[in-house]
Amino acid sequence: MSVFLHEYRPYTGSTTPLWNRPLVLARYAFKEAWASKITTILFVAALLPCVVEMVMIYLAANPVARTLILRGSPVLTINESFFLNVLETQCWFALVMAAWIAPRLVSFDLGDNALPILLSHPISRFSYVLGKFLALALSLSYVTWLPVIVLFVYQCYASPESWAMAHLGLAFGILVGSLLWIIVLALVGLAVSAWVKWRVIATGAMFAVVFVPAGVGGIANAILRTKWGLLLNVPVIMTEIWQRLLGAPAFMNPRLELPSAAMGVMLLLASLLCIAVLNARIRAREVVRG
Amino acid sequence: MNAVNDTIRFENVSKFYGEVLGVNRITLSLEPGVTTLVGPNGSGKTTLMNLMTGLVQPSRGKISLLGLEPSNATEFFCNVGYCAQFDSFPRGLTGFQFILDSLMLFGMTDEDAHALAAEALERVQLDAAAAHRKIAGYSKGMRQKIRLAQAVAHHPRVLVLDEPLNGLDPMARAESLALFQELGRQGLHVVISSHILDEVDRVADRVVLITGGYLIAQGNIHEVRQEVRDKPMQLLIRCDNPELLASKMFAVNHCVEARLHADGRGVFLRTGDVDQFYRLLNEIAVEGKVKIEAVAPFDDNANAIYQYLIGSDGSTQ
Amino acid sequence: MGVIALDRLEVRLGGRTVLNGLTGELRGHAIGLLGPNGAGKSTLINTLLGFHEPSGGNAKVLGLDARTDRMRIRQSVGYMPENDSFIGNMSGVRFVRYMAELAGLPPAAALERAHEALFYVGLGEVRYRKISTYSLGMKQLIKLAQALAHGPRLLILDEPTNGLDPTARQRMIQLIKEVRKEGSMHMLISSHLLRDIDETCDEVLILNKGRVAAISNIEEERRSHRNFIEMEMSGSTEEFAQKMRAMGCECACFAGGRVKVVMPDALSARDLYVTAAGTGTEIRRIQQRRDSLEDIFLRAMEYEGDRVGDSRQQVFAAGVES
Repeated sequence: MSVFLHEYRPYTGSTTPLWNRPLVLARYAFKEAWASKITTILFVAALLPCVVEMVMIYLAANPVARTLILRGSPVLTINESFFLNVLETQCWFALVMAAWIAPRLVSFDLGDNALPILLSHPISRFSYVLGKFLALALSLSYVTWLPVIVLFVYQCYASPESWAMAHLGLAFGILVGSLLWIIVLALVGLAVSAWVKWRVIATGAMFAVVFVPAGVGGIANAILRTKWGLLLNVPVIMTEIWQRLLGAPAFMNPRLELPSAAMGVMLLLASLLCIAVLNARIRAREVVRG
Repeated sequence: MNAVNDTIRFENVSKFYGEVLGVNRITLSLEPGVTTLVGPNGSGKTTLMNLMTGLVQPSRGKISLLGLEPSNATEFFCNVGYCAQFDSFPRGLTGFQFILDSLMLFGMTDEDAHALAAEALERVQLDAAAAHRKIAGYSKGMRQKIRLAQAVAHHPRVLVLDEPLNGLDPMARAESLALFQELGRQGLHVVISSHILDEVDRVADRVVLITGGYLIAQGNIHEVRQEVRDKPMQLLIRCDNPELLASKMFAVNHCVEARLHADGRGVFLRTGDVDQFYRLLNEIAVEGKVKIEAVAPFDDNANAIYQYLIGSDGSTQ
Repeated sequence: MGVIALDRLEVRLGGRTVLNGLTGELRGHAIGLLGPNGAGKSTLINTLLGFHEPSGGNAKVLGLDARTDRMRIRQSVGYMPENDSFIGNMSGVRFVRYMAELAGLPPAAALERAHEALFYVGLGEVRYRKISTYSLGMKQLIKLAQALAHGPRLLILDEPTNGLDPTARQRMIQLIKEVRKEGSMHMLISSHLLRDIDETCDEVLILNKGRVAAISNIEEERRSHRNFIEMEMSGSTEEFAQKMRAMGCECACFAGGRVKVVMPDALSARDLYVTAAGTGTEIRRIQQRRDSLEDIFLRAMEYEGDRVGDSRQQVFAAGVES
């Protein structure tokens, strides 16, 4: 055959299973999120405290260092409170990262009306959100439980075996605490990004969504002379939950302590609200009306 | 013991640079002789040549050169000579040293290398005195010649040349083309990529057209032309009575289109059935009412085929 | 098995009944979807793709139920929407690859098919640039490329020539014809341009105010033997018309010297010329016309709900008498 006419030819190969499609979405979303330099910068910034903490663990385990540097002071004890602080720091970094990444995941799709084409492929609205969620969750994992578990493992290695045995529950606490925060953060991030059109505003809105209700809760507390306003205070709720998961000593004024169940319900409600918002926004944009 | 294998074979070869397409699903089989590689810029010609010379590995598919594969590096590279289109040389060398160095890479003795280098210089007709001057002082034509010399020096069985006539004066071009033709006759594979289609047309045994990373056509120019079915063939016939000739041709129904030449002494005829057409033309000539002076296919060359298949904007029709 | 089978399909959006009892079966290779604005074309397409839930009745695409087999339908369909729909931040290749992978192709095959599709629609080096930098014509082509890349069984094109300059429009029509000739895909083309549909489709579904106004097989119409002649004449055409009717033809005169004649098989075009000479009129233009899509469309708008085809003769007669 001398002349090759490259005409359209049908596809005769194999297709991937349906459950694989959200993973395709997740893969591309992940690449999109990390294509930005700022993401990398935030990531590096988030790991810096971990480096400091690693040094602290080293010093705490090294008797020579302890005597030399700290002259036996109890400042550098590696216990639940220590890990609580570590987790808290990392999770706040996660907030910043989510505020930056989540808009990148969603706004590019919405900006040029890609949803009709996207959803004309065999993925449902749920799969679409799931894919984005997985990408975001993985990115946030890189700065939350992954480095903290690494620190924990290092601590187990550096300290005598009895410590590891006694504090095994910490690992569980770190994991669950982080995952809880990741889920809430990812859902809020995606919902806010789907709601607001411009990425910069979406980033600001993320912070607003976390901190404004806290202010409102505080006012409610003061006016109504109650403690239930604290339920709107996300920083406080999360710290409480982490503290209870890690078994760290309570830091709150006992009068202001909230039952775990209430906090759990609050988070669940927030998540459901986000899911509802996402559903509404995607439904609104999946078909061009008029 | 392998039978002597003298084809260059590409089997469903694709090359992607990340997302960027180099070539896609190329299947080729080249016999010895002169092959012209034709295509617009960015069509994948360079990728194809790099694949042929083993400089890049395919993302998919298999390449075999004379039965050898690029993984078998030593034997493979001994048999390939590559003359790139880029005009850069190691600094401070003379022409002779340049050729010598590249020959030494093949592990031959000093004596052999000297002999071959001298022979190569003679083949490309580069003055021995000039060869011992630094390359930095060469003219463009001389640099081209020295590159060519380097490519042929080690007697490769496959010669891949990227725009080898670039910068040569008309005499040098004719000499180079003669050299390629000679090498082709000796049973080498000579693959030439060039934009000056008329020239290479004269020496080429076959043409390979590539565009957008895809193989569009391959084979003898005339074969390819005949297969471009949707465009009937055009001939120019110079005669004293073009209108009569045209009407006679129309009467027997083999013409699709007739156009008188501006000077009134010729006619362009487009025909769908070439063999019948020639028979009828001969009969008309024998009849004597029209004096036919010249008959030539007007678009049976690489330029025309290029235009038909690749088009003026570089995209396929 | 029809390509699209509708059974009293009813779709309500925001309290309004947009599609009201659509029934019909379309089997053509290339199906045209026509109708004035607001007729429900987009809603129908969106329902077939599973974006809207039917409130009554049933729709089937390639034998798959639009209510229950949504994912399988979307797997077999390639959709080219009317509006701009892309991810501006991605390069052309990346976007088509992404869509192909979402349609189920493994990554290596997706890359290869993406390049093939881009080559086929004619996007060259442009494919490496971000889509946000594309011209309108290129954006249309990228939408087409992503619809083709995964080799769907049904290609849905919504206003494919929208906003294209004449050359680009020709190219798009050419592409559609080639795809149709290739034969492995059915097509559903929705357009306002009757000429485009006429050139590319063999069956049309005409919607009006949410109902089926006509389903017509253009291919059959074309093949049916009709001595339907349209002429432009100079001089007084009334006498000519009378004479033709006397010879057994149906003849109608319109303004500007236009005359339409349906001749029985016994007569030929020569008889027209003879009659014209006899009545002192001249035939300026003459062409045999099979019922063009325009006629079918206009008739469908007037006689909404009737099935075109056998009723054509009655309709024509009615037109003649008016």
